Amino acid sequence: MTRSMHIMVVDDEETICVALSAWLTKEGYSVETASSGQEALNRLEKKHYDLYLVDFKMPGMDGLQLVAEIKRRQPDAAIIMITAHGSIQSAVEAMKRGAIDYLCKPFDPEELSLLMERVAAAKTIQQAEVPVVDQWDTSRQASWGGIVGQSEALRLVLNEIEEVAPTSAPVLITGETGTGKDLLALAIHMRSEQAQGPFVAINCGAQSETLLESELFGHERGAFTGAVKARRGRLEMAGTGTLFLDEIGEISPKMQVNLLRVLEEKKLCRLGGNQPIDVDFRLVSATHKDLNQLMREEQFREDFFYRINVLTIHIPPLRERLEDVPVLADFFLQKYAQETGKPVEGLTPRAVEILMGYSWPGNVRELRNVIERVVVIARGRMIGADELSFLKVYGGGTRSGPAATLKEAEIQHLQNVLESCDWSITQAAKMLDIDRVTLSRKMKRFNIKRP
Amino acid sequence: MDSPTADIAAETLLDLIPYGEEIDPLALSVLAANLQAVVGLRTCIRPFRDHPEEAFIPTRYQFDAVKVLDDLCREKEGALFRMGVIQRDLCIPILTYVYGESQLGGHTAVISLHRLHHIDRQVYYERGAKIAIHEAGHLLGLEHCREPGCLMRFSKQLEQLDLLPMRFCPACEYEIARLLKKAIQNRH
Ligand SMILES: [Zn+2]
Ligand SMILES: [Zn+2]
Repeated sequence: MTRSMHIMVVDDEETICVALSAWLTKEGYSVETASSGQEALNRLEKKHYDLYLVDFKMPGMDGLQLVAEIKRRQPDAAIIMITAHGSIQSAVEAMKRGAIDYLCKPFDPEELSLLMERVAAAKTIQQAEVPVVDQWDTSRQASWGGIVGQSEALRLVLNEIEEVAPTSAPVLITGETGTGKDLLALAIHMRSEQAQGPFVAINCGAQSETLLESELFGHERGAFTGAVKARRGRLEMAGTGTLFLDEIGEISPKMQVNLLRVLEEKKLCRLGGNQPIDVDFRLVSATHKDLNQLMREEQFREDFFYRINVLTIHIPPLRERLEDVPVLADFFLQKYAQETGKPVEGLTPRAVEILMGYSWPGNVRELRNVIERVVVIARGRMIGADELSFLKVYGGGTRSGPAATLKEAEIQHLQNVLESCDWSITQAAKMLDIDRVTLSRKMKRFNIKRP
Repeated sequence: MDSPTADIAAETLLDLIPYGEEIDPLALSVLAANLQAVVGLRTCIRPFRDHPEEAFIPTRYQFDAVKVLDDLCREKEGALFRMGVIQRDLCIPILTYVYGESQLGGHTAVISLHRLHHIDRQVYYERGAKIAIHEAGHLLGLEHCREPGCLMRFSKQLEQLDLLPMRFCPACEYEIARLLKKAIQNRH
């Protein structure tokens, strides 16, 4: 979910393409440009983009035609139409054909920024909902709602999910970072009575306390500087669906009290408001931390712990179920081969051996990133030991004895990844699939410094 | 005393280039001081020069920021980084206005003081310094940051900019230091 959006800008005027892509790149999006509708469609054959910014007036295929063609090939595409001032009619026409919004050029930077935020938020929700549901029905044998594997350990976890899902009791999912706790939460939601309602997820570790509070509870207009409009919080959005609180070990004791009150009273007030709002969601939370330990350190409240931890599901780390590695690797390989249009077909037995000999401190997420990377660098139809040679750098730990504790493994892994990208936090964070701030906090906590 | 490190420390890394004599000289000093203190860029204020007329868009009564960057790019002489400062309004073809524009990981940037006015002169100077530091971050290669208290955050309104402290978050600060070191090394 931290992955940035892939955007395509389609405009015959080069200056517009350059200006827009420069602006969007600074916002952290990955941007490509096309100078005609036909070029855009050719690119779309190879790869789908999350968002298309399409100019209305172009020679050859015009913007309206292009919107229809994109929609035909990629029904879930988000498209924004760019029109000249005074041609609202064409914008309306575009929206009838499936564009989600329009911008009249030249537009305000503020307007563009707000629109992008809206698209990104919609995308996150869509990502959580659509693809997994798709996989559910057309599931390949080893895939179960996006959860892939063949080990006995994983089968036991899935059995537990079948059991706990239909009850409405709160569930706590424990497991290391990158094991796919979010997918388990979604699987619970899909098989529960709340399945008709929304699945609303939030990562409690990714934001500052004040921001998290307004994300969760929402706010009334004028509740604080910058609160120009009233906003619904995630708790309210969850309604009668499922609320998934990831990294619950990160929230402050004060916030725990606030949440506890909502869980008990099934009511909440937005920040700056005093009108109680009824809520009736099912709570699923997840953590990679030892909450018992946090309770001993008085960082986590006991009453809150018992509230959220009525049922527990533990997902074992990938190194304890290495049988899942080949199936997962194959699953991601097919996925990325399709996305990038590369004719990669599989892994050589030697490559599988290397993958199974590695300890995967970053779990499934790390495996996914590794496969994504090898698909990009692959030159032949099969991926062999050569393409995986960068893994040996990480595996160096085996010679000096494997890391004994999770913490040691994490430190070692962080150091290796930082090393491999010349200590660039930006790049290392991308590889680890965490944000820069989280990485720099970890470096500070473990006292990891550039040698 | 001619150790190489002393050389690097004394070298100007950023030229601040004022377009148009109407710019408040004190504003320039504040920009230079903050670029030096917060980003670590040794800054030098160059003499005033005329407005870049070829960047002027008569129909919009604004200057095209991209063309100003082109103008600064053509310059052979000068420091590693060049930042134009202009009192007139800046825009890019697709946006109604910009406070500043820069090449991501490049050498040139430009900022406008036009929209930063405030009755309290101190606030006006601070706004200018924040915009300059933000664009300097882009010059070094930083993208926008989502941390609430970081100058690399994109401010939608001036009120948001005013709320930001005069610094980067720890992650951006680390990157700035690393990228700056790298930029200096590559130059030599
Ligand atoms: Zn910026
Ligand atoms: Zn930052």
